[in-house]
Amino acid sequence: MISDIPLNVILMQLFFGLALGSIFVIMASGLSIIYGLLDVVNFAHGAFAMLGAYVVFCAVSLSGNFAVGIVSAIVIVALIGALVEVVLLKPLYGKDPLLPLLLTFGLAVAIPDVIKIAFGLIGKAVAYPAAFSGATKVGPLILSNYRMFIIVFTLAVLISLWIFLKKSDLGMIIRAATQDSLMVQVLGINTSRIWTIGFALGVGLAALAGAIAVPMMSATPDMGVEMTMGAFVVTVVGGLGSLGGAIVGGLLIGVIVAFTALVAGEYSNVAMYFCMAVILLIRPRGLFGESGRE
Amino acid sequence: MKQATDKKAMLTDVEPKPRATIVWGTALVLVALPFVISVPLSTEILIWTIFGLGFNLLLGYTGVLSFGHAAYFGLGAYSAGLAIKYWQVDILTGIAVGVVASMLLACFIGALAIRRRGVYFAMISLAFGQMLYFTALSPLKEITRGEDGLTHIMATVNLFSVSLDKPKHLYYFVLAITVVMLYLTWRILQSPFGKMLQAFRENEERAKACGYNTTLVKFFSLVLSGLYGGLAGALNTLYLGYVPLTSLFWLTSGTIVMMTVLGGRGTFLGPLVGVAVFLFLQNTISLFTPRWELFVGAIFVVIILIFPGGIMGTLREKYLSRKMVKLQNKAADFQ
Amino acid sequence: MLLRTDKVSKHFGGIHAVDGVDFTLRQGQLKSIIGPNGAGKTTLFNLIAGVYLATNGKVFFKDRDITNLSLHKTSRLGITKTYQITHIFPNLTVFENVRISAQSRNTAFNFWRTTHSFSALNERALDILEQVELLDKRSLLASTLSHGERRYLEIGIALATEPEVLLLDEPTAGMSCAETNLCAELIKKLNKELKLSIVLVEHDMSVVMGISDEILVLNEGRTLAEGTPIEVSDNEEVQRVYLGEGKACSA
Repeated sequence: MISDIPLNVILMQLFFGLALGSIFVIMASGLSIIYGLLDVVNFAHGAFAMLGAYVVFCAVSLSGNFAVGIVSAIVIVALIGALVEVVLLKPLYGKDPLLPLLLTFGLAVAIPDVIKIAFGLIGKAVAYPAAFSGATKVGPLILSNYRMFIIVFTLAVLISLWIFLKKSDLGMIIRAATQDSLMVQVLGINTSRIWTIGFALGVGLAALAGAIAVPMMSATPDMGVEMTMGAFVVTVVGGLGSLGGAIVGGLLIGVIVAFTALVAGEYSNVAMYFCMAVILLIRPRGLFGESGRE
Repeated sequence: MKQATDKKAMLTDVEPKPRATIVWGTALVLVALPFVISVPLSTEILIWTIFGLGFNLLLGYTGVLSFGHAAYFGLGAYSAGLAIKYWQVDILTGIAVGVVASMLLACFIGALAIRRRGVYFAMISLAFGQMLYFTALSPLKEITRGEDGLTHIMATVNLFSVSLDKPKHLYYFVLAITVVMLYLTWRILQSPFGKMLQAFRENEERAKACGYNTTLVKFFSLVLSGLYGGLAGALNTLYLGYVPLTSLFWLTSGTIVMMTVLGGRGTFLGPLVGVAVFLFLQNTISLFTPRWELFVGAIFVVIILIFPGGIMGTLREKYLSRKMVKLQNKAADFQ
Repeated sequence: MLLRTDKVSKHFGGIHAVDGVDFTLRQGQLKSIIGPNGAGKTTLFNLIAGVYLATNGKVFFKDRDITNLSLHKTSRLGITKTYQITHIFPNLTVFENVRISAQSRNTAFNFWRTTHSFSALNERALDILEQVELLDKRSLLASTLSHGERRYLEIGIALATEPEVLLLDEPTAGMSCAETNLCAELIKKLNKELKLSIVLVEHDMSVVMGISDEILVLNEGRTLAEGTPIEVSDNEEVQRVYLGEGKACSA
């Protein structure tokens, strides 16, 4: 078993796991922001990530520049998200709380088919950006540059997100609205617009996750479901509405999946669900309890 | 103080003795169904209706949203299939194995997750559904045959040496079970337990203050729902003659959600109507394009926006609001 | 003593909503808890009912420690609460609202017999509707009732659990003065005719003056005064706290 495996292989796998986990972390943070603000669990979260992946594919094909791809993925998907929130979700606020959830589920069913019609069933591969292709030797380890980039980049995204939420005016309003939207309304702030911005921000993060994942796994119309599942498992483990939970949960799940792939390949798809089941057995309310509003 | 006879009269007026007319009427329509539309489609309608009846008890009457109901359907299908294939049991035993397996799974998932708030339960149930899907896909593929699905289950379908190989014979066998399940559901809804489920969906907090253990009630509702799911899955195995891996796929869970919402969650005939309309739409759209999910998903989104009560729910609302106006006028006349 | 708390406290973060309060209720007593907004009335009430876990102190019902029992368990022991914001089952009929509650004691998990066949239960539901003056509205959906009627229905739902102690949280909230006086009379009637022990939380002092046996005045989470209505209304501190507070309906 694991003791027979040389240390450098274990470290490599840990590295893979952290890179994979980084993508989960970004997905789950977006999901948390949306839930915190709108009380909606976005079942189409993975579908938006998949859209982000396809935007990257288009943008890179047109411009040849990966950075342009990432930026356009975030912007375009965030705009689509804003539109979805205004047209489809807004009419449902204040009604049965199940309805927005069901609606996003309908989107998760419909959106992949739009992509299938436009791009076909076969996945679209995107090459590693030139700056991050290849690998670097670090001591006994050979680390893929692109995965290192993902880990560092995720760290940067999380720090800027944290600064945005803590320091900027808009960020503070979003945090306040997460606690108590009525209070923010009383202060004369247009909460309706805050919800739109929050939803756009959340799906923008999903698009970012899809975008940076694309060179490793290529874009397919059905990739969204597994990305949604990853975000859900992380959220169940780490708790909704807490960035800390998303980070710890995401990295934990990423590492577990990577190690399972090493020791028992056929279980790698199942590992994160087993992990969730075990954590539910030990701590029924997740690692950090349930935060967010009742 | 009013007289006792007065109270008796009042009781018949407030709640007339319930009659299962709706069950027998539906049964009559279903007996004639294969003469109107194709037998395979009719059989599919019955199987999904059973699945939907159980899902509706959970979503429509208890207010618990499970996004992983394919787990019960698929496990029922695989368990029945495996029992028949490897143990050579008769079909009734096979069905029983499927039902019991699904109920046990519901107990397991319920024990782990039913305490959690609604949104968490929706996510956890979906995750468990995926867990079963991937487990059948690769770790257990020696037994489940992975992506190919479980094939060559039985040579012929026999019920006590009567052959059910003709599609119509099988249809009426499934119909008999469907009618039993319709009647069972109807009885449950008329019973204190059924009324309690509805109270729950209406106001869980109030139900708690009335002394109901809400966790326990939700748990029972989930296990009951697992029974229907397992039964539907096992019947699907008999109908198809094999178990496709897609019976565990998330879209199967999604389909039963969409069918139930479309027909009207929390209405008795909602699942049947939703199943019929959904399968009709799916079959019709598939004639023109393989991308039926786009259209069905879009229609579902529109239904949520315009008729969140679904077909039967919207009709019932119309009927009730008329009745309430009448009753209020009557009450006003008294004063 | 039927119900008592022993230096019970509830802290939310740094806020001491209830801070070491001793509360007692004798069999058959109608006792009111009053105090200005934020005095901790509803919190104390929810500590007794089992909605909140106490930070410190104990709650006893018939000398049994019920401090950490949850809401449905205290209800089963015979302590039933109503809510400050109306909690009913809106899409069920008025009759069904009461019967759901009445059946919670014994028949709840029967899933085969029809509710129609439980005639004793159904008649009881009608009796309760008569007590809360909603018999005429029995077939209406609860959502179609007026605000005042819903408050009565909620009292009916609570009565149907056959409580020994009825906890009423501002039953007259949102009612006009005329409705308030009628509701106060109803509460007095339940106390006298059904021999129910009642804890009444009220914002408005004048409502409770006429009907209470005893009054507990809370302020900032602590006991300010306790005694008969006359003793309490003569208390200078109470007068100071209450100066110019709330609506006033003279009974």
